[in-house]
Amino acid sequence: MNDQAIQSQAVGASHPRREARQKVTGRVEYIHNLRLPNMLYGKICRSTVAHAKIVSIDTSEAEAYPGVELVLTGEDIRKVMPDPYFGVMFHDQPVLALDKVRYVGEPVAIVLSKDSNIADDACAMIDVQYEELEPVFDELEALGASTFVHEELKPGIPEISFLKGVRDTNVGFPYQLRHGNDVDAAFEAAEHVFEHEFRTHPSAHVPLEPPVTVAEPTGEGLTIHTANQSPSFVSYEISRLLGWPQSKVRTRVPFLGGGFGAKLWIRLEALVAAAALLAKRPVKVSLSMEEQFYTITKHGATLKIKSGVDKDGKIIARKCNVFWNGGAYADIGPAVAFHAGMTAAGPYDIADVAIDSLSVYTNRPVAGAMRGFGHPQLIWAYENHTDMMAHELGIDPLEFRRRNILREGAEHATGTKLNTSAVEQVLERVAAGVDWGKPFDKGEGTIKRGRGFAIGIKASIAPSTSEAIVRISSDGSATLYCSSVDMGQGSDTAHAQIVAEVLDIPVERVHVVHPDTDVTPYDTGTLGSRSLYHMGNAARLAALDAKDKLDQLAKEVGAAEPGSNVPIWEIFARKNGMPVGNVVGTASFTPPGHVPPDPMTGQSPDITPYWMFGGTAAEVEIDTETGRVTIVKLVNVADAGKLINPKIVEHQISGASIMQLGQTMQEKVHFDFGQVTNASFADYKIPSMLDIPEIVNDLLDSEEAEGPFGAKGAGETGSFCVSSAVANAVFDAVGVRVHEMPITGETVYRALREAANDPLGED
Amino acid sequence: MTPFEIAMPTSLREATGLLDPEDPTIRVMSGGTALMLMMKTDVFHPTRLISLRKIEETASQMGLLPDGRFRIGGMCTLAQMEHNDDLAAFAPVIRQTMRMLANVRVRNVATIGGALSHGDPHMDLPPVLVALDAIAVTEGPEGSREIPVAELHAGYYETVLNGDELIREVIIPAQDARRMTYLKCTTRAVKDWPALGVALTGVFEGDTLEDPRLVIGSVAETPIRVDEAETVIKGRSLTDKVIREAGEAASANVETIPDELGSAAYKSQLVRVYVERALRAVANQTV
Ligand SMILES: Cc1cc2nc3c(=O)[nH]c(=O)nc-3n(C[C@H](O)[C@H](O)[C@H](O)COP(=O)(O)OP(=O)(O)OC[C@H]3O[C@@H](n4cnc5c(N)ncnc54)[C@H](O)[C@@H]3O)c2cc1C
Repeated sequence: MNDQAIQSQAVGASHPRREARQKVTGRVEYIHNLRLPNMLYGKICRSTVAHAKIVSIDTSEAEAYPGVELVLTGEDIRKVMPDPYFGVMFHDQPVLALDKVRYVGEPVAIVLSKDSNIADDACAMIDVQYEELEPVFDELEALGASTFVHEELKPGIPEISFLKGVRDTNVGFPYQLRHGNDVDAAFEAAEHVFEHEFRTHPSAHVPLEPPVTVAEPTGEGLTIHTANQSPSFVSYEISRLLGWPQSKVRTRVPFLGGGFGAKLWIRLEALVAAAALLAKRPVKVSLSMEEQFYTITKHGATLKIKSGVDKDGKIIARKCNVFWNGGAYADIGPAVAFHAGMTAAGPYDIADVAIDSLSVYTNRPVAGAMRGFGHPQLIWAYENHTDMMAHELGIDPLEFRRRNILREGAEHATGTKLNTSAVEQVLERVAAGVDWGKPFDKGEGTIKRGRGFAIGIKASIAPSTSEAIVRISSDGSATLYCSSVDMGQGSDTAHAQIVAEVLDIPVERVHVVHPDTDVTPYDTGTLGSRSLYHMGNAARLAALDAKDKLDQLAKEVGAAEPGSNVPIWEIFARKNGMPVGNVVGTASFTPPGHVPPDPMTGQSPDITPYWMFGGTAAEVEIDTETGRVTIVKLVNVADAGKLINPKIVEHQISGASIMQLGQTMQEKVHFDFGQVTNASFADYKIPSMLDIPEIVNDLLDSEEAEGPFGAKGAGETGSFCVSSAVANAVFDAVGVRVHEMPITGETVYRALREAANDPLGED
Repeated sequence: MTPFEIAMPTSLREATGLLDPEDPTIRVMSGGTALMLMMKTDVFHPTRLISLRKIEETASQMGLLPDGRFRIGGMCTLAQMEHNDDLAAFAPVIRQTMRMLANVRVRNVATIGGALSHGDPHMDLPPVLVALDAIAVTEGPEGSREIPVAELHAGYYETVLNGDELIREVIIPAQDARRMTYLKCTTRAVKDWPALGVALTGVFEGDTLEDPRLVIGSVAETPIRVDEAETVIKGRSLTDKVIREAGEAASANVETIPDELGSAAYKSQLVRVYVERALRAVANQTV
């Protein structure tokens, strides 16, 4: 139970998004619009090969081109960054390629000019000679390959320092979990054993605002204006690279035109910072939409899953082998392997579990985190698998899940006990959402109809920290300083509501200062649906601290007798002689109690501050002559805890489900020998209005025990189960199982022909 | 992007004079929707663009000619064609097609001249105009030519137009009692460039279909008229059996090219299905 009483109307009401009017009238600050005096534009010369030694880089023609100010290569970066490798987990990514390139599109040089067109033209004049090496693109091939993307692994953070200096492998990080007894023995004892393999493809985040950064030398220091989801990390990492005190690197972030994980950690910041210091002038790099496709993708993966079931339809053992195609550099990939790997057994109560989840290096663009943090891929596998087992056993999929679901108090495969019954509720509600068990029109002729559903679980990031400052002014209005990035998810509005609630003032009286590391304190980053819980708590505690200080002040000036109604301005006037002044509250929030999982078994009694649960049900219609799947309806069920702002939560849930629907049905990054061949919205099709079905969002009436006013994150929840719900509905409609996304007409049609023993020709 | 020059001629004749058949970096721009995409993706770097925006007004006009044919000026936008009631009465398939073609913003500026000259196989209008037996009237230094739209496209992004020859207008012959339809199939998003387009026109005499024109767009380098399937349906009444045979003939005789929109085998299946559907659609059309 959460005992934080809600008194004013600040929390729980759908206050309009505070930046909405400014956004639709074009007044919001985006870095793309930033122009500084004397600023140079940088254009990046990129690798044209997937894997090669750099023999030489001849920049002379580009340097001689009129209007070019400076051309920099990897070696030049060393003048300001002696060891120019960055990364949130492994320090493995060079600011500009050094001696080797590892994917098509990797930055090799940068040209600076006052005219971005000139910089662009000059890029084409740089002559890079390569000695090509054998590339490796597929995650399974990379495992056994004799060609290595990295000669030596370079772990950065202490938690994985045991990997130090591993040679001759493409495995970046091998996560493992062992729960209960030996799974292989359990499979022996099982009545039925099922084994399936699934694949997912790389997709692209493509926020409508591509990454953009401006770096500005400021005398002794450096200011980085950037579209980034983790401003505190930017200052941390750039100061590490430069060998400067963190206090000299200021990172500021206004609004983002979308993030979805594409703008986490370091994107352009290291390159632009080095370029600005070397040019001694402000430098701006704004990527084109096309360049985004070479910069970051969502992991494609191969997922093998095996389950043993007893005679009563109870799953007794599970083994998962997951291979994440991480691309050329680690980025957050090891954490995706770790974090998603953790819940690979799903929201099910299984005695014996073994999970191996490997992030694998390949010669593809870097794969990072994307909305859902690996879970949509995993749930795609385990919820297809669950349905397939149910059908083969002749048990209704709902009943089969009921028999195996993780109930309140039961131990999850990580060793942490579930503190809620939300997952059972999600299951029942999602099934009810498509009237499961009731009669259904299955269609006729060449149009067949089906319905399906899926449920999923995700743990939050741990450990992680959010800090906040709340300042109360002498008129009682308040200012919140925090480094959470509002990238469209509405965090400014929700955080302001929390502060207003604590201080019992109207929401409009709270101002939110955008991330600026000169003034806003530390935050791990805006990712993994963590802000509302972590920063929400920090903001709440900072507001309480400020309130305490104001009460203290009232006492000091004799305005605290019971029944006193001395207004705030007068409290300040009594102290300062005039109605001026501030009280400042601060807070740092790291969820208490976290126990890091054992590196060999993944076991921990407290692995997450809170669980996230989601479910989706889908109704589909299939044209059996073309295989085309039309989504008729989606029902998303989510546990978002107490809703601070119900409308924002609902938009987050449907937004995430639409995003995942696009990746399920139509989006796929195509590669030809490592080269992306559909790097534009003309050929990479995100959903338009016509691709979006009726969507119903059903939110549980729940409360998160330690969440701010009972709330928790929900930005990703809608993405979890869409893919497997659709696949299960397709099966329900036409009796074929799709093992690989996207679920295009052709995939389904091929499966139908396969099932009819009349397979369609290969090409 | 290197700076380039923009010319604003006031007549089509003047525009042709600014072209240089030897220099592919000089091109005319009408709506600019295709050109801009090519420039953004770095496949076209112009030195000079010749805007047709200021040429004679007749280029943007359309209407019924005294001889019963319909004339569409080369600069008429797709939106103009969509909304012109005379054209809709003359050849209803055009309005039907426009509603599936690109989006309002593109149709508002893209022109029939651009749509025919671009040569991208994944387009909706070319097969429709072939099925209507339309003619492109061109203008060049040597004067004017009449080129049946059926002969206009020569390959992938290639037309038979000379480097200094432009489309002045398109003429559609009288359609009389012809029935017509266009079916578009997309394979990624609902709104997309076509993976396949099937245009069909024909005259019904009682139950039998005469003079059919069946044109398959998008699956090959150019729109293709499928004689083998036309032979199957010509002079026959459209029974289920005939329809199936025609679909089979089309599927067997149209060579499909695989790309990111689908494999060749899948596209052949789509051809079969959509030809059958087009035949059913015209058979069921009420006159
Ligand atoms: C977002 C988007 C979606 C689209 N979707 C579809 C779709 O669903 N279906 C479809 O069919 N098409 C689609 N298209 C393509 C669209 O139909 C073409 O871009 C358009 O028809 C080109 O006409 P334009 O006037 O803009 O040509 P421009 O871009 O101006 O020119 C195209 C080419 O034709 C040449 N040219 C122009 N006018 C003439 C002339 N009078 N004589 C000779 N040469 C000339 C130019 O030099 C150039 O080479 C889409 C385009 C976009 C941008």
